[in-house]
Amino acid sequence: MSTEMITLETPRRLRFEIFRFNPEDPSSEPHHQTFELDEQPFMTLYIALNRIREEQDPSLQFDFACRSAICGSCGMLVNGRPRLACNTLTRDLGETIRLEPLPVFKLIGDLSVDTGTWFRGMAEQVGGWIEEKAPFQAHAEEERMDADLAQAIYEGERCIECGCCIAGCGVANVNPDFVGAAGLNRIARFMRDPRDARSEDDWFEVVSDENGVFGCIGLMGCHDVCPKELPLLEQYAYLRRKMLGAAREEERT
Amino acid sequence: MSAAPAEIDRPVSPPTPTPRRARREARVDGAQRRREARRQLRYELISGGSGVALALFMWGHMALVGSILTGARGFDALAGGLEEVYIAQPTVLAITALFLIHAAMASRKIPAQIREHRKLRAVTEPLRVESARSPGHLESSLWVWQVWTGMILLVLGSFHLVLVGFDVFTDTFGVRTGIEAASTQARVSEGLWIVYALLLLCVEFHASTGLYRFAVKWGIGSRLGRPALRRIEHVLLYGFLGLGFLTLAVLAKWIEPPLAFLLGATV
Repeated sequence: MSTEMITLETPRRLRFEIFRFNPEDPSSEPHHQTFELDEQPFMTLYIALNRIREEQDPSLQFDFACRSAICGSCGMLVNGRPRLACNTLTRDLGETIRLEPLPVFKLIGDLSVDTGTWFRGMAEQVGGWIEEKAPFQAHAEEERMDADLAQAIYEGERCIECGCCIAGCGVANVNPDFVGAAGLNRIARFMRDPRDARSEDDWFEVVSDENGVFGCIGLMGCHDVCPKELPLLEQYAYLRRKMLGAAREEERT
Repeated sequence: MSAAPAEIDRPVSPPTPTPRRARREARVDGAQRRREARRQLRYELISGGSGVALALFMWGHMALVGSILTGARGFDALAGGLEEVYIAQPTVLAITALFLIHAAMASRKIPAQIREHRKLRAVTEPLRVESARSPGHLESSLWVWQVWTGMILLVLGSFHLVLVGFDVFTDTFGVRTGIEAASTQARVSEGLWIVYALLLLCVEFHASTGLYRFAVKWGIGSRLGRPALRRIEHVLLYGFLGLGFLTLAVLAKWIEPPLAFLLGATV
């Protein structure tokens, strides 16, 4: 029904203003290039970008892999707001759509950025991995876990590291060492995990300093731009309360 | 088929340090990092705690100043009573101290450089634009407004505290040492109402927004959700603004005290 209604109308002519710059090419100057395209039903930015590259300019650089909001590689600024190209429908946008690469991350070219180096650095800074209490026994029965706890851990685990929360964060844009929502979400995920050997006290330096949760100025951009709708503000509140608890514990002993 | 190993192989060597990690490790040793982290937590608690205390005080303050709604007699009786039992004097000093501490602690996150301001604006401005898929993001502007109203409050609030200090501790204004309705109404009606109207707007916005942000930061009432918290914040904001402007109108002698009948006599 809705498909028919859309196809019966004359398709909109969309104008894409796309950031172009190739850092590898000394003659390249940063600029915006305009491409025009007829809208098709249920067109996503991912489809639009592929059509532009296919039909108009094969040199256009952008990243994608899964086209279903799970690989996290197509994050970009859509009219200035961080979004995933693959789950943003053109019908939700105006006729002129401005596309730019995510800030904070190193530019590879045009819309393509290197989020990997930033996330690697962040993971090393926060210790974003499990430190097991006992060596993993592949054949032993797993310890039981409360369903709510498992769900809370899973919520943190849903992060696809697309970098939207970092690009939409005022602090991450000015302080390159700020671990951002992605980093704090990851800490909260491992802090909740009973299989992790680290106590809240062990996390204290990482979470509580100005590159951690107390570096946040509370713009709440991360939470509201997250394409996976992670409960980032709840994770922040959880970490703040845990740090207060850890400090009080230390005072007592 | 051989038996699976009891332990799965995984890399044990630490990853090569990235520039970011090297930067971090070169900067501070462990004990120093811990001290720094404790300091950040303390700053956060002091700035948040002093803010909440000041916001709660402002509600009490509204009740005290609001006594002018019952007329000059009610106002003088309340002020005189609080001064007689020495509640007013230490309160003025304590609130002044809290005010200065809050200003010093809360301003530590204001970016010092213009370049940083520009970047912040570049990030937050597109978020505020409404689109079909997302309403305009107001929270990212709230912080900027907190900074502006905070700066105005630092100036006008200091002025007000000095004025009230003179009232409470000297007989510079009015006929005796202490806060008096007559001298207060005289100076407000003669032009200070401009200052107080601005002060009222800033104080109520800053306090209710600050409480909302404090609640979100620490997860207080997170089960209600942010929209509900915002509604509560708006009720508080407009409620206190309404009450505040009514009080100001009486202080500026634009209207008669509407609750004068409570004391059963003329003003």
